[in-house]
Order: sequence, then C-alpha cells, then structure tokens
Amino acid sequence: MGNNQSQGQGDKGEKKDQPKYQPPPPPTQFGKKKKRRGAETSTKLPVITPHSKCKLKQLKLERIKDYLLMEQEFLQNYDLNQPKVDENSKEQADEKIIEELRGDPLTVGNLEEIIDDNHAIVSSTVGPEHYVRIMSFVDKSKLYLGATVLLNNKTLSVVGVIDGEVDPMVNVMKVEKAPTESYSDIGGLEAQVQEMKEAIELPLTHPELYEEIGIKPPKGVILYGEPGTGKTLLAKAVANQTSATFLRVVGSELIQKYLGDGPKLVRELFRVADECAPSIVFIDEIDAVGTKRYDSQSGGEREIQRTMLELLNQLDGFDARTDVKVIMATNRIETLDPALIRPGRIDRKIEFPLPDIKTKRKIFEIHTAKMNLSEDVNLEEFVMSKDDLSGADIKAICTESGLLALRERRMRVTHTDFKKAKEKVLYRKTAGAPEGLYM
Amino acid sequence: MPQKEVTIPVPAKGGSNKEEDKKDNKDTEEKNTTTNTTTKDNKKDKKKDKKEETLSPEDEKLKNDLELLVERSRDEKEEIALAALEALKTEIRSSTSSMTSVPKPLKFLRNHYSTLVDIYKNSKEGKAKTSLADILSVLAMANGNDERDTLKYKLLGSGEAIASWGHEYVKHLATEIGVEYDIKKEENQSVEDLLKLVDEIVPFQMTHNAEPEACDLLLEVEQLSKIFQYIDENNYSRVCLYLFKCSYYVPGPDDINILKVCVEIYIKMKQYPDALRVAMKISDPELITEIFKLVENNKSILQQLGFLVARQKIVPDNFNYDSISDIINNSKLSEYFMNLATDLDIREPKLPEEIFQSHLDSTSAIADSARMNLASSFVNAFVNAGFGKDKLMTAEEDTKWWFKNRELGILSTVASTGMVVLWDIDGGLTKIDKFLYSQEKHCSNGALMAIGMLTSGIRSEMDPALSLLAEHINSSNTGTRISAIFGLGLAYAGTQRQDLMSLLSPCLDDDKEKMEFIGIVGLALGLIFIGSCDPELSTLFVQTLIQRGTAASESHARFLHLGLGLLYLGKQDAAELALETLKAIEGKGGEYARLTVEACAYAGTGNVLKVQNMLHFCSDGQENPHHGLAVLSIALIAMGEELGSDMCLRMFDHLLQKGNVHIKRAIPLALGLLSPSNPRIAIMDILSKLSHDNDPEVAQGAILSLGLIGAGTNNARIGGMLRALAVFYGKDVHLFFVRIAQGLLHLGKGTMTINPYHSDRTLMSPVAVGGLLALLHAGLDIKNILSTQSHYLFFSIVCSMYPRMLMTLDEDLKPLPVSVRVGQSVDIVGLAGKPKTITGFQTHTTPVLLGYNERAELATDDYIPLTNILEGIVILKPNPNASVTSPLASKKN
Repeated sequence: MGNNQSQGQGDKGEKKDQPKYQPPPPPTQFGKKKKRRGAETSTKLPVITPHSKCKLKQLKLERIKDYLLMEQEFLQNYDLNQPKVDENSKEQADEKIIEELRGDPLTVGNLEEIIDDNHAIVSSTVGPEHYVRIMSFVDKSKLYLGATVLLNNKTLSVVGVIDGEVDPMVNVMKVEKAPTESYSDIGGLEAQVQEMKEAIELPLTHPELYEEIGIKPPKGVILYGEPGTGKTLLAKAVANQTSATFLRVVGSELIQKYLGDGPKLVRELFRVADECAPSIVFIDEIDAVGTKRYDSQSGGEREIQRTMLELLNQLDGFDARTDVKVIMATNRIETLDPALIRPGRIDRKIEFPLPDIKTKRKIFEIHTAKMNLSEDVNLEEFVMSKDDLSGADIKAICTESGLLALRERRMRVTHTDFKKAKEKVLYRKTAGAPEGLYM
Repeated sequence: MPQKEVTIPVPAKGGSNKEEDKKDNKDTEEKNTTTNTTTKDNKKDKKKDKKEETLSPEDEKLKNDLELLVERSRDEKEEIALAALEALKTEIRSSTSSMTSVPKPLKFLRNHYSTLVDIYKNSKEGKAKTSLADILSVLAMANGNDERDTLKYKLLGSGEAIASWGHEYVKHLATEIGVEYDIKKEENQSVEDLLKLVDEIVPFQMTHNAEPEACDLLLEVEQLSKIFQYIDENNYSRVCLYLFKCSYYVPGPDDINILKVCVEIYIKMKQYPDALRVAMKISDPELITEIFKLVENNKSILQQLGFLVARQKIVPDNFNYDSISDIINNSKLSEYFMNLATDLDIREPKLPEEIFQSHLDSTSAIADSARMNLASSFVNAFVNAGFGKDKLMTAEEDTKWWFKNRELGILSTVASTGMVVLWDIDGGLTKIDKFLYSQEKHCSNGALMAIGMLTSGIRSEMDPALSLLAEHINSSNTGTRISAIFGLGLAYAGTQRQDLMSLLSPCLDDDKEKMEFIGIVGLALGLIFIGSCDPELSTLFVQTLIQRGTAASESHARFLHLGLGLLYLGKQDAAELALETLKAIEGKGGEYARLTVEACAYAGTGNVLKVQNMLHFCSDGQENPHHGLAVLSIALIAMGEELGSDMCLRMFDHLLQKGNVHIKRAIPLALGLLSPSNPRIAIMDILSKLSHDNDPEVAQGAILSLGLIGAGTNNARIGGMLRALAVFYGKDVHLFFVRIAQGLLHLGKGTMTINPYHSDRTLMSPVAVGGLLALLHAGLDIKNILSTQSHYLFFSIVCSMYPRMLMTLDEDLKPLPVSVRVGQSVDIVGLAGKPKTITGFQTHTTPVLLGYNERAELATDDYIPLTNILEGIVILKPNPNASVTSPLASKKN
C-alpha cells in the first residue's frame, strides 16, 4: 500500500496519495455546548482525597507540584531548544492577513446549524438565513449551536465568536466592589454572626473540618426576623469579609415579563455561581417568589411559582454543588413554601429578634460614634425605654436628631434633639397612632 | 479544592480587631484637627472607654479575672500562686471554643504571655513552676510563633495527661514534635524526651479516631513499628489503608518499610489474604512463603491465598503446595472461565463479521484481501479467546479458513487457534494437533506458537509446551525456531525456569541468524525471567548487544533491549549495575537499551525523578527516533498511580503540541499503556482526535490504542468510533488496525481485561506488563513490525489477558451463586466513620463481571468472604451470625 514508504519520503508520499483517494472528512468534533467541559477536564488538576489535613494529602499535593514543575521546565527547555525564527514579524504579517480577511465592520449573527467542519448556517437579526463558510482561524471549540458569531460584512462567512454567553442580567448581580460594612458594624447579634460563619464561610475555607467529623456542610441559611433587624447588613458583612464570588439578587428580580424567563434566570444565576465557585448567592426578600403554592388561575402567579420550583431544584436538585452557598433573607418566613426551607435546601434558619437592651446600647454606640454629641446627652434613657426599637429605628433616631440639630445650625446634638427624634420616629412607625396610646 | 482554600483568607478575629483599632485612631485624629483643644482630652477618654466597652460585661469580667490571676501567680507565697494557676487552668479548660474563633481566655491571655514567661523564668523550682509551664504550653498554641514553645514548655511541665487540654492541643503538639525531631536529628541530639511524649500522644490519637494523625506522627519520628501496640480489630483496616496509600508517595526505602509494617499488622490481625497482597506488592518471596506457612493448616484460607498468587502468576518458594497445586497452577482457570461464560450465556462462538457489522455501513462490500482475512483471524481469536470454540479454526467441519491466507498470514492464522483454546490444556492440544503435522511450513509453525499461547500462565506437571516445542528450537528453519521460541516465551512467562535458560541462551550466540530471531529470543528470555535480575542473563544480553554492533540498532533489536529491561521490571535500584555497563555501548542501540532498562526498572513506581529524566530527554530539541520510547517510558513509570497518570495526561497534552513527529507517534501508545481496559472519556477523546491524524503511523497507533483502552469492555462509544473509522479508512492499511482494535474491544466477548493491575488496582502483575510492553514496543515501529512481517507479536497480549470476573466458591470449591452489589469504587482513605466503599451500585448474582474502577461487596451477610477485596475467585464460608431477615434467607423459607 501507499503508506509503506519510510519516513524520509513522507512528503513525496503525501503528494502521491492526494489525487488517488480523498477520504470523507473526519466527523465534526464540535457543535455541542457540553463539549467544552469535556475538553477542560483533561487539563484540570486531579482532585485530592482525603480532604482532612494529613501527611498523605501533603505528599499528594507535593507530587502534583513536582509534575507541574516538570511541565514548566519542559516548556522552558523546549523554547530554549527551538531554533530561533523571527516570529514577531511573521506573526504580525499573519495578523494583518487575518485582519483583512475579517473585514470591517462586522455583522453579528446567530449560529443556527453546523453543516460540516467548514460550513454553517447562520442567521442575522434582520434578514434570512445563510449558508456560509467558517474561516479556518476561528476557534471551533468555542462554536456551539445558538452562539453569537461575527460575520464578514460582504461574504457573511464566520470570522469570530463572541464569548460570554452569560446572561448580562446575571453579570450585574456579581458584587464587584465589596460593601464597606464589616462584622464590626453589627451591634450584638453575636450568635447570628457565629452561625452564619459556620454555615457559610467555614465550609468554603475549611471543608476538611466537616469531613473529619463525617458530615456534609450546610448548603444555605435563611435569615428572618422583623424589619430592620440587620439581615441585609449581615449579608453585606459576609460579602465584605469573603473573597469568594458574591452574587446578590432581590427576589423580585427573578420575576420576568416573559414565560420561562424567570426560571431561566435562576438557572443562569446558579450556573454562573458554579463556574465562579466558591461563591455565595444572596437572595434578598425571598418571599417575592417563595410564597406557598396554591391553585391559581392567573398565569403570572403560576409563572412565579414555576420560578420557585426552579429555585427548589437548583438548591437541592439532581446535580450536587459543593462550593455554592445560599443566603436568603425575608421578614415573613411563615408565608414561605415549606419545600423551600426544608433541611437539605436550607439547613439553618437564623432568627433576627428585636434587639435587647445590651444590643440596643451597642447599636446606639455604633451610630453615635461619629456624631458630635453635647455633654448632656444621656443615651441610657433611650436604651432603657420600653419601646420596641429595631436596629433601623435606632439609626433613624440618630439621623433624625442630627437633622434637627442641623436645622437649628448647631454643631452639637443635644438630648432634646434625641427626644424629639425618637417621638417622630415612633410616631411614624405606629402609623399615626400617638405614642403611649395603648400603654 | 486546595487552591481555593488558599485564596480565601480566614476572617481572623485578631485581624479585624486591629482594623478596628486603626479606624478608631484615624477617627480621633480627624476629630483632633476639627475640634478645639479643650475637648481633646475628653474625646480621647471617651474613645478609650468605648474601646473597652466593646467587650460585653461578661467578657470584661472574665478578662479582669484572668488579669488578677496572672497577677496572683507571681505571688511570693507558693500556695497562692498555685491556687491562682489552678484557677487559670480551670478557666482555660472550661471555655468551650467555637469553630470560628480562638477561645476567649486564650485570647485575653495573649497579651500576658510575655509576662507569664517572665514570671516563669524568675520563679523558684517547684510545683508552681511546672504548673505554670503547663499553662504556658497551652498559651503558646494561640501565640503562634515558630519557636515551638508549646513543645518546650510541655517538656518542662508537670507531665500530666495530654488529653486534658483537648484535641487541638494534641494536634499542635504533634506538629511541633515533627519539626523538632528533624532539627534534633540533624544536630545529633538525643530525642528520648520527644519519643516519650510520642508514646503518650499516639495511644490518645488511636483511641480517638485520629488514626491518620497517629500514623503521621510515627512516620515523622521514624517509629512506625510502635503502632503495633495500639492496633485492634476496629482500627487496623483504616491504619493499613492509610499507610498503604502513603507508601505510594514516600521515597524509597521508606515505602518498603511502611509496607512491611502493613504486612505485620495484617498478620497480627489474621488477615492473611491482605497480608499476602501487600507482600506481593513488595514482591518479597520470603515474606510470601512465611505467610503461606502460617496458614498451612487452614485449608480454606490456604486455597484463597492460592487463588491470589495464581492471579499474580507466581508460586511461593520453599513451600509444599501440593494440596493446592491445582489452584496455584491455574489449571482450573479454563473451567472457571467456561463456568462464567455459561452463566452469562455467551458460549456461542461469534464470527468476526458480527463484530464488524459492516452490513450496517452503506459502503459496498469490501473484497476479501489477504490482509483483511488476516485481520479476521486476529479478531476471531480475540473475540472467542478462551471459549474453546470458534467458527473459523476449530469448527467441526473444516472450513479451511487458513488457506485463504498467504505465507506469514498462515502463521498468525493458525497460531490464533491457541488463543481460542486458551488455558485449556486437556481439550486444546487436540484441536491444535491437526495443524502441527501439516506439510505447509507456516502452518506447522503457527501450531507451535499456538501451543505456547494455549499454556500461557498455566503450570502443568506434564509440561506439554516444553516437550512439544523444545525439539524445534534448533530446527534448520528460522521461522520454526522463532515460532517455537516465542511460544515458549508466552507459555513460561514469569516462571523463571532454569532449564529454559540453558535451552534458550545458546540461541543468542547464533551468528548466522538475523536480528529478528535474536530479538525474539531476547523477548522470550525476558518474559520468562521477568523481574528476576538474573546477572548471568544480563551479561549475556549485554554481550550480544556489543557483538552485534551496528545491527543492534535495527528495528527488531528493540526486543533484545526490551528483554534486558524486563529482567529488571520493577526492581528499581537493582538495575543500576546493568545501566552502568550499558553506558559502554555506543550509538543508538545503547541509548535504546538504557532508556528501556531504566523505564522497566521503575515501572509503576511513579518515580518523579525518572519521569523528569525522560522529559529532559524529550526536550533536547533534536529529531531522535528514541524520543518515542521516552514518551512510552513516562507512561510506564507513571501508570498504576492515579495522580501520576492524571498528570501524565496534562504532560502529553504539551508534548503533543510541542513535540516532534516521533513523540507524536508514541503518544497514542503511551495513552494505551496508561489505561488499558479502562476507557476513560478524556483519553478516548484525545485518541479519537489522533486517529484522524495526517501521519499514518500516528493514526494507526491511535486506532490500536483505542482498542487497548477498551479491551474487553464492549464499550459502545469506542465501538461506534471504530465503526466510523472503518468506513473512513475503507481502503487504507489503517483498516487492518481498525479491525484489530474492534477485536480487542470485544476481547473474550467482553469478559476479559488486559490491565496489569488487579486486586483493587493495587498490585501490578509483571507478566501482564511484559505482554503489553512487547506489543507497544512493536507499535513504536508500527510500519515495519506490526503491519507487515511480525504481526504475530499481537499475540504477546495473551500474557496480559485475564477474566475480569468475580466468582464465588464454597469451601469445597464448588461455585456458589450469591447476590453481590457492584458499583464504582470510592476512595475512603482517611475518612471518618464507616463510609460506603462503592457508589451507584447494582445487585447481581455471581459470577459477575467487574469493570476497571468497580468494586463488589456481598449484598447479604449469609456468607463471610475469606478475602476483603472481592475480585477474581473468592471463597465464601457461611456466617454463623447471619441475620435471619436477610432477603436471601427469607426467599428460601
């Protein structure tokens, strides 16, 4: 057969072979979205077991390090031993050619179907579908059905792929800049802070602790309690402390205009969380989507319920996620669907009660720390009063008193300011019923 | 994941406090500039107040109490000081720490640490001083410097029980002992005091479910044998498992020492099969014999041990094993295999066409060519291997199939009969007999090879292979000689029989013969004396290499080199001498020999330095055909150890991108070696891509390797790929390899494995590695060896073949069907409690097939297996304490 020449004649052999027989092209290796994961696994580092700290783990990690060093060394050696060619100018020339082939400006289209290695059907937003060529310099591993592709202006051939198929809605949810609130800004709530740390931070930083004792770390927590008791504040503090990806959503954001968009957003949200793992997902005001299910005739409500069902599945569904933790916050835990807060989905329910005297004192201190108080201010009076004050109320009192002082162009905030402020805040809170009416 | 751990800083209490301080200071400064001077002092006071007020009243009280106690402890009167210290101790002990923060007393006492140290230095000897040392030891833990104060003060302290301070303290102490031990050893100081402490810590850890930590500490201080005192039936398995895994990654000779400790623990706990497994891992014949002698009087256990050594294809030295000779000689293997086949209802022979399924392809039927007929012969042999019946060679009415082949094709076709009747000495010989006396030379030669193959791995008193083949060794026909010698090599692989050495070694000196003959003699000798390090043979090999001079770099000479390498398979340092002498040989031949010997010596060890050597060799930037060998060597060294083989995949990725054509050609083969009979998706993907490569040798190698990684699994995905390839390469020489790969995929109709690792992937069978290596070395020159003249080398795979079954027998060695759960194995090393060993299991009735990564466990407790790893052939004995409610029992009722 024609392939029996020795290696030196390889070139000649190929030429001879060419006219003789053209085999059909090899089957396409791309086109499926999932494929991208498969390719990555071969370059991923192996998972090390056991997780607990022990010599075996150290030895295994060292072994991996050795191999990585060897890889590095090989790549360096290889570069050294390569005959020096003037790559720069060649590369530049190549780039120029590619630039020319691409053309300018580019049309944006949608990949509808992949015919074979070099051809595809694309559609642009305006017009009909086209059968076009895929340029050889396009990274084919990135192509998948439904991808957004760049098309040449004239020939409409595929010249590039636009990355980032992440829903822009989800990207907005990522907390890029950590909030300034830290744990020290929380007055009291020590037990809550500790529970939160155990359930959210520690599993991400020290997974081995849980394995040693033989349990699975909690998946998520729900924070509930009266308005203004610091639920969101604590979540902010967590975001401030951790370097894990922090995604924050408000429950109402998950309600979308079109059918299926809400669940899709939830899926997308958790997919991004999984990709950026370790990550923390914070869903504020979960009662917007998480209320109890009931027979409803309205399509809108059913859609909301479907969104919740998707959320249920993502929280404890078929695919196990380990490095995604969920925090939820609500003031009406009793209205939530029992399936949402069952153990396994949400393992810990953290209650935020109204502050007791000690906590109140601390909250007052935190808020007045930067205020210019006059000598006669006696905060104890407010602390000891019997009114139901939440953390937010106290903050409001402090702010209000400051405003009162400002109104009179004083540099100090006096005790009377505080008194007035308190009355005002409480009056507002009880919605018109004067203070002390029912006492 | 470990990396992620690093990236997330732990929210440390101390850190946030400091931050707060800073913020406060800044605030004060700002205020200072804005407000007038009179209020300045006030402000400052207030700030100070505030700072203290951040502590809750209870905390403050605790803090004040502690401060008082610290103050008191420097009291003149000893009683007061002592009382204060006692109070301190109770305070520290009673604090229940949270997971997230340092216990409060420790936190508050941090500031007073130096004060206490001063007090300690100034105080008089006595009870108070030692008591203070105890406290300092605990406090040092929270202080976290590199001074190892915890250990220092512990040694100075009163020596009270370490358990009183809790786990965290013991852990900390153990770490510091490890570090201190190394330093003291370096400075040649006495370590008596440390060891005394170790003796106290280890029992504590062993009784508190911290076996890995106990092992770590003992490894650290090189006192592993002490662990015997603390072994009981609850913890031995975990200790051994942990130590066994550690031995993979510990540099020699410590790994052997660890394994020896494992053996002794198993022996102490009367787990003889496990002990034997570890002993075989060390490959220490004396240890193996010792274990056999221990169970001499227990028939069932002895039989079980017999099955284990039979799988490894070795025999215990200096031990009279007459009572179990049937087992050790593997003579019943064929019977058991047929039993399995009957149970699975697959005894009906299959035609190659049923495997190819070419009628499904749209392309027109391909005309019979000699090459395709040859491929069909191979496929027929692979598919019907061991079943004793096929439709081409051994059918009742003679189909004269072999007439359809030409010349050497006839040789391989007739030889394939040997594989069909594999392991069945009684029934098989008669089926080969008719070819043996054929007039056609190639036909009778093929029969010789078939006899060798038939008896592969089976020992028999009659020695049919030797008696039939010996006379042909000195025949005048080179072909006959090659067939006979190759047959002997396959038949007696791993037996190390001296009479064969005297028979075969003269052949090496035969000057008249070409390199092909010499190569096969070398390979046969290498297989027979695999891992023996025989010095006599080694010198003979080297001499032959030197004598042959330039001929030693011919393509077939590689088998002579491989033969030399096999002598040292897995023997590590023992090969040093041979390597030195090989340096004397100039040129390419010497280089090939050196690489082969080095790789073989470290086969399956995962030795990183050797891998590095090979990589260096690959990256020298030249076009050296031996680069391919180096790539194969990397796979050979790294195989059998999960991390290494995973990392090898990454490495091959780079090599594929950067390497020259020789490297590229070897990579598919190396991948095949890395996971034979283990179709991993990642490897499958790479091979599938390479099978379309422009370079025919890369593509052919990739196709062959697809067969290797799927060998005996019937994997549908590979099957689909190969069928597509068969269409794609419809008219190429590649088709031959596609067919062979299809045959391998359905090896023994999906009941066999060629993976050299068995017993839960821990033990490497040297003979199996030898067989694989012979094939892969041939694959390095796929064009000149496998696809043209020497295709009979495909049969070397017969050494690696073994049924991948689990068969259960009762104590009279009669098959005993029981229900077992089969599932993916889970790594349970170092896990707490009694974790599940398998996941995603299904329940079957034995005999069952086990995949590469699968484990089995008994579904009911009616029987107790005699060995803990259910694989191969396992003897069960009835469980006297079986629960009555088990499903099987209830079914009977």
